[in-house]
Amino acid sequence: MMILDRLLNFLPWALATLMIAAMVHLVSVLLMPALAPKDAYARLASYAKTVGINEGVVALPPITPGAEILPFEDASFVEAACIYDLSRRPYHVTASAEGEDFFGLSFHASGGRIYHAITDRSAIKGKFDIILGNTRQMEAIENASDGAAPLQEVRITAPTSRGFVMLRVLAKRGSDQARIREQLKSVKCENFDLPKN
Amino acid sequence: MFLERYSLYLRAGLVMIAGLLLGLFTTVLSLNAGYGFNALEAGPWTAWPSVGVPDSDPYARAVIARTGETPLGRDQGLVFTASTDSSGAPLDGACDYTLEDPTPPARFWTLGIVSTKGSLFANPTGRFGYSSADILRHEGGGFNINVSRNMQTGNWLSPGEAHQFSFILRLYDTPLDVDTQPKADRFPKITKLNCA
Repeated sequence: MMILDRLLNFLPWALATLMIAAMVHLVSVLLMPALAPKDAYARLASYAKTVGINEGVVALPPITPGAEILPFEDASFVEAACIYDLSRRPYHVTASAEGEDFFGLSFHASGGRIYHAITDRSAIKGKFDIILGNTRQMEAIENASDGAAPLQEVRITAPTSRGFVMLRVLAKRGSDQARIREQLKSVKCENFDLPKN
Repeated sequence: MFLERYSLYLRAGLVMIAGLLLGLFTTVLSLNAGYGFNALEAGPWTAWPSVGVPDSDPYARAVIARTGETPLGRDQGLVFTASTDSSGAPLDGACDYTLEDPTPPARFWTLGIVSTKGSLFANPTGRFGYSSADILRHEGGGFNINVSRNMQTGNWLSPGEAHQFSFILRLYDTPLDVDTQPKADRFPKITKLNCA
């Protein structure tokens, strides 16, 4: 009897502990993307700052041991990133996918999660022409063009006003790296003014 | 006297502290265990296709934010990692391994070696992986990669001085079906040779 009494006394406290643990667990998992100090956005932004690039394309250096900007990247790739801020103006990305190289563009929210991705397979006539904006900006653009987008243009609504676009081109052989690095210089990333109407 | 009077408050305080610690502990455990749900497994190889889609689950988002990686989009490719050999024994830097074909269908693939934190191992050849285009193949198209701390002929990858490492197989533009578990015999076989 004594043991049962003690157990019954202890039970509500154990349940309370588990309840609090469950809440702490859920809240900490959900808050992680907002609070993690070294997410991909922070890593790219701090690299851009050290090389002194405030806007446009940030060419990432070749991936070498000890000098990786992002973890788990493929060393066979030549990479660049465009860090955007949509709080005032929408964003325009243009790039051309030449030849047979694998060319991937992925669009990431500030916590690093992906919200859109395309490859050279879906480029139109070898060109990427992408408009990024928040819901309000996209509506203004839709209204200005009466819903008829230019043929090659892709419009994407971004979930957060800050984020980045990763550009990755596969260098099939090490000797292709220099050529692809040169090719990535033609990529343009810039904010633009909303059409007035 | 004092303790008796406030024992309920003391207990409540202990419950809160215990709950907080237990909650954070389970968070760390679950974030170290992979990238959330729906893992694809093929022998030693594991991929998490759900990290590459817009509606990824909260665990996948939390892991990505914490490690600082930028996942591939699901339509771009799939990333498989292996931290054991084909018999299930953990990979050990002191041992030599050989990786053999086949590879699953993909427009391109790369096969490399990384630390558990996702960084590369320094080595004199500056080789961190092979691609479907630049790997040396046998007659008939097959290949094998020698993995050792000591330099080898042919395709060679080195874990450097590390004890733990992973192999990472990236399939670009792959038609692999992510709704069913892939067959292990379509993935590279990892065989332990001898240990130092």
